Amino acid sequence: MILYHLDRISQCYAGRTVLAIDSLEIEAGRIYGLLGPNGAGKTTLLKLLALLEPPTTGRLSFAGCEVAYTRSALLALRRQVVLVDQHPIMFSTSVGGNVDFGLKIRRIDKEKRQRIIDEVLETVGLRPFKAAAAHELSGGETQRLALARALALSPAVLLCDEPTASVDVENQAIIAGLLQTINSTRGTTVIFTTHDRLQAAALAQQTLVLENGQLAPTTYENAYPCTLTQGADGRWYALLPTGAALALAIEPPSGPSSATDARVYIDPEKITLHRHRDHRDGRDGQEAGTTLSGTVILLMAENDRIRVVVNIGLLLVVLMDRADYQQHPPAIGETVLLEVIAEAVTLLNAGRR
Amino acid sequence: MSFFLASFSSALHLVWSLDPELLTIVRVSLTVSGVATLLAALVSIPAGFYIAFGQVPGKRALITLLNTLLALPTVVIGLLVYTFISRRGLFGPLDLLYTQQAMIIGQIILIVPLITALTIAAVNRVDERYRQTARTLGADTWQTGMVVLREGRFAIVAAVISAFGRVISEIGISMMLGGNIKGFTRTMTTAMALEYDKGAFTLAVALGLVLMALSLGINIVFNLIQGRGGR
Repeated sequence: MILYHLDRISQCYAGRTVLAIDSLEIEAGRIYGLLGPNGAGKTTLLKLLALLEPPTTGRLSFAGCEVAYTRSALLALRRQVVLVDQHPIMFSTSVGGNVDFGLKIRRIDKEKRQRIIDEVLETVGLRPFKAAAAHELSGGETQRLALARALALSPAVLLCDEPTASVDVENQAIIAGLLQTINSTRGTTVIFTTHDRLQAAALAQQTLVLENGQLAPTTYENAYPCTLTQGADGRWYALLPTGAALALAIEPPSGPSSATDARVYIDPEKITLHRHRDHRDGRDGQEAGTTLSGTVILLMAENDRIRVVVNIGLLLVVLMDRADYQQHPPAIGETVLLEVIAEAVTLLNAGRR
Repeated sequence: MSFFLASFSSALHLVWSLDPELLTIVRVSLTVSGVATLLAALVSIPAGFYIAFGQVPGKRALITLLNTLLALPTVVIGLLVYTFISRRGLFGPLDLLYTQQAMIIGQIILIVPLITALTIAAVNRVDERYRQTARTLGADTWQTGMVVLREGRFAIVAAVISAFGRVISEIGISMMLGGNIKGFTRTMTTAMALEYDKGAFTLAVALGLVLMALSLGINIVFNLIQGRGGR
């Protein structure tokens, strides 16, 4: 079932367009990871999905009905969606009182409210803190309480703005686990923003990438700021922050005469990984594109693929077929060669970072 | 110096012995200023909250006007109210001049801008995320407003206390509209001015001591509230 349908949505602040989405559909019951650099429009999109702001233009449908931005209609819809802020703010009352807020305004009787409060606080591991002042919780506990506060309302959609950005590793794991549990046990649609590509890959069933307010046809992995420069041979190169040069198959759109800032995306499925020894034995000197050397730092099994993270000065993700991996399995710490063909490189937005 | 010490000693004795005249003056002061503060708060807090929270046209101009009114001298208010309640004034038939009611009206006019302006500031200082959180948790406009009011409550109470401090220590309105009638409209400040004119410093110093003690008490409460709000 399609839960959200966005049709030519744009959002402008002070005359500046911060979000422009032609079309987007979000299915019910799935986990979505929303990726993108700072200022890409992730939080703006979450606020639109939370029905906290009307779009400047375009139509937003929720559960098959176009959202009418009237006070009464919005209230009914908004009670099905909860947004958990990146830095959640707690009402100046107890931990239990914070969870109670949404239940009380829904006129749920006291006995039932207490049962729900106990249940959700138990789920997030904050039951012993029920009577404590909410302002006295640590950052990770506050984030968990914010999730409990949302969870108590059994929303159809849970929107989380960088839920693990400001918590320690232990709480990151707890929160990621909670999001998965909420989705699997309650069927809640979860949409979260993150900068952590690996977390998005591990947690989300589908990832959406925003670049300059627009949906980008990438997986966000391997998207880097770079500088475009023209070599002595007349070809254009993208200089990554490491200084490593990648040959580009495309011309910069505006044809600048000097160096230009841009973002470049390297398709992780189009990178070929060679173990150093195998490559040396098998190379024929006919390679196109660029060959980079790096060290394997992470291996993750992911359905029929293996995600290999290679440190080339920055972290580059390579997606290997399980069969390829089994034939030539790289080991962690091993130096490997990466063959990046020109077709693997896409210029996202010349002139802007 | 010996004159001051003698006056101070006599004044302490008056306070300690709970002098009936002193107590009457203190009671009138507290009654008039207390009622004025209460009534002003009933008007100003909702008004300030509405201006800050709602979509009020000309909000900026209104806030500028309120801030300007903060500097209104008490004698100007006294004069203004006098023109309305004197025998030839619009409300002359109500016979309000030289009554506690007249003093209360004047004092309300004095502190309504103060409480309103401080309430606006208190509501504006409440983190925007409280509104967003309340709304995303399903609160309607009224419930969201109550959340904001609750989070700004310490600053709003501090505004009311500050207003009480302002009216208990004013003299212009009390003198011009109350007339300084013994046992009826004589307040601490008007009594002190009268005793000074008479050259009888004992009661003036005693009243000064009580006023200072009240002021100290108000400031202690004010600080306690601010401390709680700042946590």
